[in-house]
Amino acid sequence: MIWRAAKAIEAGLCQAVLCVIPMRMAPFGPEDDPAWMMKAMRFGGHSTVYGAPEAEFDLPYGHLGQNTGYAMIAQRYAAMHGYDAAAAAKIAVDQRFNAQANPEAIFYGKTLSVDEVLASRMVADPLHVLEIVMPVAGGAAVIVASKELLSKCKNRPAHITGFGEHLGYKSPTYAKDMLYTPVGPASDFAFKTSGLSRSDIHCAQIYDCYTITVLLSLEDAGFAPKGEGFRFIKEHNLTYQGDFPLNTHGGQLSFGQSGSAGGMSQVIEAVTQIQGRAGARQLKKCDNAFVTGTGGVMSEQGALILQ
Amino acid sequence: MTTTYIKPLPHATPISEPFWSGLNNKKILIQQCDDCGGWSFYPRRHCTHCWSNQVTFKEVSGAATLYTYTISRIPTLPEFSDEMPQMLAVVELQEGVHMNTVLVGLAENEIKVGMKLKPVFHHVTADKTLLKFTGVDKDVQLQHFDSSEVVEEVKEAVTANKRKIRYDDIPTMESLISEEFSPWSNQITVDQNLINEFAKLSGDDYWIHTDPEKAKKDSPFGTTIAHGALVQILMSRLTIPMDYEVIGFNNVVNYGSDRLRFPSPVPSGVKIHARSRIKSVQQIKSGTQVTLEICTHIVGHDRPSVINDLVMLYM
Repeated sequence: MIWRAAKAIEAGLCQAVLCVIPMRMAPFGPEDDPAWMMKAMRFGGHSTVYGAPEAEFDLPYGHLGQNTGYAMIAQRYAAMHGYDAAAAAKIAVDQRFNAQANPEAIFYGKTLSVDEVLASRMVADPLHVLEIVMPVAGGAAVIVASKELLSKCKNRPAHITGFGEHLGYKSPTYAKDMLYTPVGPASDFAFKTSGLSRSDIHCAQIYDCYTITVLLSLEDAGFAPKGEGFRFIKEHNLTYQGDFPLNTHGGQLSFGQSGSAGGMSQVIEAVTQIQGRAGARQLKKCDNAFVTGTGGVMSEQGALILQ
Repeated sequence: MTTTYIKPLPHATPISEPFWSGLNNKKILIQQCDDCGGWSFYPRRHCTHCWSNQVTFKEVSGAATLYTYTISRIPTLPEFSDEMPQMLAVVELQEGVHMNTVLVGLAENEIKVGMKLKPVFHHVTADKTLLKFTGVDKDVQLQHFDSSEVVEEVKEAVTANKRKIRYDDIPTMESLISEEFSPWSNQITVDQNLINEFAKLSGDDYWIHTDPEKAKKDSPFGTTIAHGALVQILMSRLTIPMDYEVIGFNNVVNYGSDRLRFPSPVPSGVKIHARSRIKSVQQIKSGTQVTLEICTHIVGHDRPSVINDLVMLYM
């Protein structure tokens, strides 16, 4: 959405774009059929349309919703590279620490330990309930504007210098290898367009619907070699006080996921950090931020570099 | 009594029809490219390797390995509550293609990524067959649509060694008050026949309960749902295991409910069970008044379908 807005401005279509995402896919209005909306939600957003592969080959077996899809990716990872449940939990714990410095976060004021994550209810092996996003109500909005409008900007602006987007497949079942996610090509393109390298990044705002999403995104975006994500997580302090600040607003795991608007929280946090308006969780230096977004079951993903 | 199959069914398209009709005849037919020899799944107009549109359905053995799996502890749809926990899997056929499926006849600790699997044909309706998988050394008997009714397992409540507590021994009765719930009761299926009978008896024959066709089209739940009152009274068919027995009273009456809520619907065809806890014990003039919180859930669901704070009066 952000890079499309930037491209529209670059193409001279307009000067500024207000990017707004509500929580739901479409607003309830007098014309909308609530039964259709509820049905779509009942099937976890999977297509129930005649001829859709999901309706035909996934739903009859009970393959629906996101939990089990991500859990199967995690289970595949475990079989290929081993699984460190405590390191996975550390992702949620470090982000929860960040949320303690963000009064806007749903889990502000509620700390979390690795043991608590591991003792929480197993939803779909190996994912515990505290490794899964917290649904909240909300929305998000970002203004993308041309350089000519910069003088009207009260705060330090964030420049969009790199972007990438990749749609790999609809269901990871049919991926060549579900452990190589579309974040890879999307990030490569983003770094190529921006001219930055991985070591230039001051904070990463990684889409975090589940802990496994963060793990694979860190590997595929090139911050850790394939299969060494857990080691990377253990070796780094991922909090806003640490050497690899990640999801400094708490991430969607601790900030909350307001439906479709959830991923925009990562963009907003990157901008807030660059602007120096992040309050208690403000990084000492944040000139270059890396952001990812995810749709489907790690099947359609995007990356942004903001400076 | 035959139960209707309530889970989502595959609807074959002109392209995929050979695959589904093959399964009805216990044959697995998948597409191979005439030009490059590559295999593709799910069925398409073209080869996924070289984009040729010369693809032909060929029979394969179904020999597979487990690519990945998960054990879902929460039903992905209420209709799957009879399969708990759901053993969802992606398998890789010998030909290299991946498919979504369900593992059957395997214990949790027997499942390993990379294990060899063989196909199991599950005839779920007269014209639909699902392709499931099990271990190569397993012999799995599935309940097909035309099998005779399977008598549901009813777990006997623990009868031995029950603590006997006099109804007028208030301190001991009070010691039963707990935040913790009892173990689960036996499970029963709330099927459409039962819902129809209740509609007739109660006079509440609103289409949302009784018309599966209209419900599929117009109901937000996509299927008919049981009356809240029906689920509430089905309590009588559920035996909750208790480790105590109240004795010494002449009479016990159901005094009604302090609170009755139906927080989530029960779709037709799903299994329910219940559990309870004692919320309060009160000595009153005529005897001992006990408030039991009984929660009836769809099997595997966190959120109750019925919460009933039932007041019993022991006299």
